[in-house]
Amino acid sequence: MNVQQRVLAANDEAAAELRRGFRADRMLVVNLISSPGSGKTSLLEATVRALTGRVRMAALDGDIATERDADRLRAAGIPAHQILTGGACHLDARQVRTALEQAGMGKPDILFIENVGNLICPTSYDLGEDFKVAVLSVTEGEDKPFKYPAIFSRSEVTVITKSDLLPHVPFKLDEARAQVAALNPTGRLFVTSATSGEGIREWCDLLMERLEGKRRA
Amino acid sequence: MHELGVATEIHRACRRTMESHGPGRIEEVRVAVGELSAVEPELLQFAWQAVTAGTPDEGSRLEVEWRPARQTCLKCGEVAERGAGSWLRLCPRCESPLRVEGGDELDILHLSFTPDDVQEPAP
Ligand SMILES: [Zn+2]
Repeated sequence: MNVQQRVLAANDEAAAELRRGFRADRMLVVNLISSPGSGKTSLLEATVRALTGRVRMAALDGDIATERDADRLRAAGIPAHQILTGGACHLDARQVRTALEQAGMGKPDILFIENVGNLICPTSYDLGEDFKVAVLSVTEGEDKPFKYPAIFSRSEVTVITKSDLLPHVPFKLDEARAQVAALNPTGRLFVTSATSGEGIREWCDLLMERLEGKRRA
Repeated sequence: MHELGVATEIHRACRRTMESHGPGRIEEVRVAVGELSAVEPELLQFAWQAVTAGTPDEGSRLEVEWRPARQTCLKCGEVAERGAGSWLRLCPRCESPLRVEGGDELDILHLSFTPDDVQEPAP
């Protein structure tokens, strides 16, 4: 018999329900996806430093086995809850729902979901987020966008991290920009460094802009 | 690698679809896999064997229809030529930015199964 059904229909439904809840709460939800060690947590620490006092933030951290990232974000001063996936290479919408029920982190203005470190698997799983962010550090290859087109074409925002290291690594920034633009001509790209502070204000401005948009909607 | 999880979802969805038809076993499932779905067809087929092993559906086939993404030019609108798995930075004709379309598919298209009390697969 003919069947027309999304394979991930069950996840898509759970994500749609989450999205309705986030909209009702006027909560901006950002799903950050990257390779391991690309500096997602450092980016979030810098974001928390820049936005503390202006908005309430919280984080869910997906990890296969450790609590390290959530510890760092709690130390930075925001509620953070670790989701241990027990080996799974991505977060799914049901895990996010369960985590939100357990975490008791109230209703932040911005919820960051730090996905499991991996550029492939998290791409297909909608978590009810407002947008995805692909995070790429200059210590990785500038050819990663073309190697992992799914995530770079679907992420409304690409954040390049560790820009302070650019003088010391072979990373070709123009090439990375060209590849992201080819896959995603309407996407935004920020070049940032949690160390020097480059680009953090612009990235935070985007978050505030999107939060205002959600409050008006 | 999340092909195992995807195969599990396909199997679950097919089983749900079959529920109303009584007991039976899957013969073949056809799925569409887009280039941007982050799913490798061969790995998915291996995963399908693993997921169905030891179930009534052991030995069933998973057929994959590959759906490439298209890069189109924002200016001349033409589908730009590119090799499989390679991407163009700009339109080769007018050097305008390109847009990526399609390739998102991860869909179950067709399911054939044999009810336990019948010899031939259901259409
Ligand atoms: Zn053109």
